Amino acid sequence: MSNVSPPPPPPPPPLPGTRISSPTPSEPLIGAEDLSAWPGTGPVMVEAIGVTKSFGDVVAVSDVTFQIGSGVTAILGPNGAGKSTLFRMLCGLTQPSSGTVTMLGRNAGADREVRGRIGLAPQQDALFDRLSAGAFVALAAQTHGVVRAESRTREVLAQVELDVDDPKPVGSFSKGMRQRVKLAAALVNDPDVLVLDEPLTGLDPIQRQRMIALFGELAERGKCLLVSSHVLDEVARLGSNVLVLAQGRLAAAGDYRSLRDLMDDRPHRVRVGTDRPQQLAAALIERGSARGVTVLADAVIVDIDDIDGFGRIIAPLTVDLGLRLDELVPLDDDLESVFRYLVERRR
Amino acid sequence: MTAPAEIFDRGYRRYEGERTGVWQAMRSVLWHTIRSVLGIGRKGRHKVFPALVALVAFLPSIAFLAFAVLIGDMLSEELRPPYWELFGLPILVVVLFATLVAPEALVRDRRDGMFRLYLSTPLTKPTYLLAKFAAVMAVMAIVVAGPVLLLLVGYTVQNLGPDGFGAWIGVLGRILLSSVLIVGFMAALSLGASSLTDRRAIASVGVLGAVVGVSIVVGICVDAIGLRHELRVLDPLGAPVEMAARIFGEVGPAGESRGSAATPTWLVFAGVAAWTTVWLSVLVTRYRRLTAV
Amino acid sequence: MTQSVSTVRSVLLTHRLLVRQLLTPGRLLALLSLGAVVVLAAVGVAASDEVEDPARTIIEVMDGLGLVLVVPVVSLVFASASLGDLREDGTLVYLWLRPMDRLSVVAGAYLAALTVSLPLTTLPLAAAALVGKATVDGVIATVVAASFGVLAYSAAFVLLGLMIRNPIIWGLAYVLVWEGIFARFSEPVGNAAVRGYTRSLLANLSDVGLGPAAEANTSTAVLVCVFVAAGSLAMAAVRLNRLEVD
Repeated sequence: MSNVSPPPPPPPPPLPGTRISSPTPSEPLIGAEDLSAWPGTGPVMVEAIGVTKSFGDVVAVSDVTFQIGSGVTAILGPNGAGKSTLFRMLCGLTQPSSGTVTMLGRNAGADREVRGRIGLAPQQDALFDRLSAGAFVALAAQTHGVVRAESRTREVLAQVELDVDDPKPVGSFSKGMRQRVKLAAALVNDPDVLVLDEPLTGLDPIQRQRMIALFGELAERGKCLLVSSHVLDEVARLGSNVLVLAQGRLAAAGDYRSLRDLMDDRPHRVRVGTDRPQQLAAALIERGSARGVTVLADAVIVDIDDIDGFGRIIAPLTVDLGLRLDELVPLDDDLESVFRYLVERRR
Repeated sequence: MTAPAEIFDRGYRRYEGERTGVWQAMRSVLWHTIRSVLGIGRKGRHKVFPALVALVAFLPSIAFLAFAVLIGDMLSEELRPPYWELFGLPILVVVLFATLVAPEALVRDRRDGMFRLYLSTPLTKPTYLLAKFAAVMAVMAIVVAGPVLLLLVGYTVQNLGPDGFGAWIGVLGRILLSSVLIVGFMAALSLGASSLTDRRAIASVGVLGAVVGVSIVVGICVDAIGLRHELRVLDPLGAPVEMAARIFGEVGPAGESRGSAATPTWLVFAGVAAWTTVWLSVLVTRYRRLTAV
Repeated sequence: MTQSVSTVRSVLLTHRLLVRQLLTPGRLLALLSLGAVVVLAAVGVAASDEVEDPARTIIEVMDGLGLVLVVPVVSLVFASASLGDLREDGTLVYLWLRPMDRLSVVAGAYLAALTVSLPLTTLPLAAAALVGKATVDGVIATVVAASFGVLAYSAAFVLLGLMIRNPIIWGLAYVLVWEGIFARFSEPVGNAAVRGYTRSLLANLSDVGLGPAAEANTSTAVLVCVFVAAGSLAMAAVRLNRLEVD
């Protein structure tokens, strides 16, 4: 039996609007003024080319290539997929075993100026526990060289709904409050690139909503936000650009709705509401318009390969049959389904 | 008639196998503590420190054996150190080993939340501590008993060992008894000091302070201030070695004093027992107050 | 909104933060009690009738307790924790991923360690020397030797804190085994131990002979301490730059 390796997969398509050209680390830093041109036509702000990271025998990230511009990009993947390792490499906290990573055109770990334009909210819970929230964020502002550190500290703490004058040490804070302190510290230098590892963990639903709105505002201002999260419906609300990691490899990149369309090996599932579901189900099967049907009391769940074609035939069909068409709801073109399909394929 | 059906995977299922109980849990804690402390199953860098310290602890024995091999039968009995002295020569290295072993055995569990997990098993606080105590004793025995046993075996091979089987067994018995008592003393002291903090680094310094710091204070009290020499039974560095000397029927340096009688043997044992009790009480009290959740 | 962080400001910011992190009540109490042991010894020397030459004996106590134990252990605890603790608990990222150069972060950490260690060593030792009836030269020698010891040890232990995960036990191994055992028996090993040079300073400045492992001349001893400090800090900056940060 021969042992044939499959050919390497083609590089994933760049996210919408990103440049394909790869700036080398020696190219000049992308200026803040360039960012205003985003979305769609601005520069690549974060880039990974053939990045692999191994810890001994364990390959955490394997041959990952992508480019990201401004806007929110969600990094998705099951636990252990390599998301945090990828984030650490992007910020220069650890060097890739092979491949190159650049942020704003340079290596963040080695370049002071780039470090000043990054905001990182790491996954780990560690903070300087003896400092108050105000002191912690003020320290972040000062170490970033923020000009009016005090007023900026006040401003970002207000954004995350924390009191700058609260003298309590962050060591006594709840998980959600600590998370907000981390976010404030990441925002304090008004960074061009924000790397947020599980930023919504521990926040209550209202705080999550506000944070998502804040991320949206930042994206509109031309910032590049990289966000990892396990809460998929919230990721979907952050934006549609995703990078899906599975077992250390980049499984997909791009708008998740487009990704769903590309999955032609997976039938689409649609709920068709009608007054006579059994009759509709029989007609769909008889005409070969569905791969499978499930009959409910007031609807039919239909598995179909060609969702556009189905959209064209369903209305005339119900008219022909004399049925009432109550609703037509796609059931699996949400992010969760896309994510599940992509990850399941690898397991 | 219904079609045959079978569920292949129900997801979570109750464990139906044999439940081996508290002894197996204790054995498991003991073995995993030994593995963790010695770096077994971990990367090479975790093995370097215990290996180096153990090597240094064995150096005096190796040096004496090398001397014996070179000179052979010509090595007179006066030039051979008494076995109990081998407990004292590497005593600082033993302390150094304790600064690694006890914090690693005890502090890490509290810091990583493993302690709470252990208490969700058949283990209770006393059985957990007993397993930890046994593990620390087992590891410490490498640097306490190992060098002396090596010397005994080496001398025996070189025909310089005790005369006759009975004498040999007698020396072995004394070595083992001394080792158990010294190791128990060191384990109590180092675990007690380590129980006071959740940081390994501070625990290491605490162990050092509890042994070397107290030893210095006792030394000052006796040598500089002129208090009674019997106070040396409270010297955590000197008293265990003195105890070993007494087990071998001799008087060591901590029991001697110019112009006055040697410290009584019972007092030497009482000193060691007092420190052991004090630190065991600290350990037990600290863990009794510790909430598991 | 932002401007570059100057080297001096980076040093000061790092220093201020780390002094606050290092000064925990537990550490202070433990290390003050170590200094108290030396004072206690000095009281003993002063009170003893058997001591013929207290000025000489107290210098020997400063050597045997102060330079051999207090100076290296206090330096080890604070210097190895200055950046080592941050690395261990995952907060180093908040200094590392900032537009500050690595050397200034290392220098800030070193100064923080000195800020805490110098008073915790020199004050008890000076007090002990005074209580123990040392001469003025003896007191000055004690303070100078302890200070240069702290300068050299602290830099080396800042580096150690960045090199390994458990710097305290390796530092103790260096102090107890390398300096305490091997350096006594071997001259080449003694030359590679900081203790020999701090003891030389104490012996030369107090004019009290302290034996074979304390025979470097004063300028050599000072130069070695400064060289150890500068070299260690430079290596620490390089190490910090290449560090895998959690």
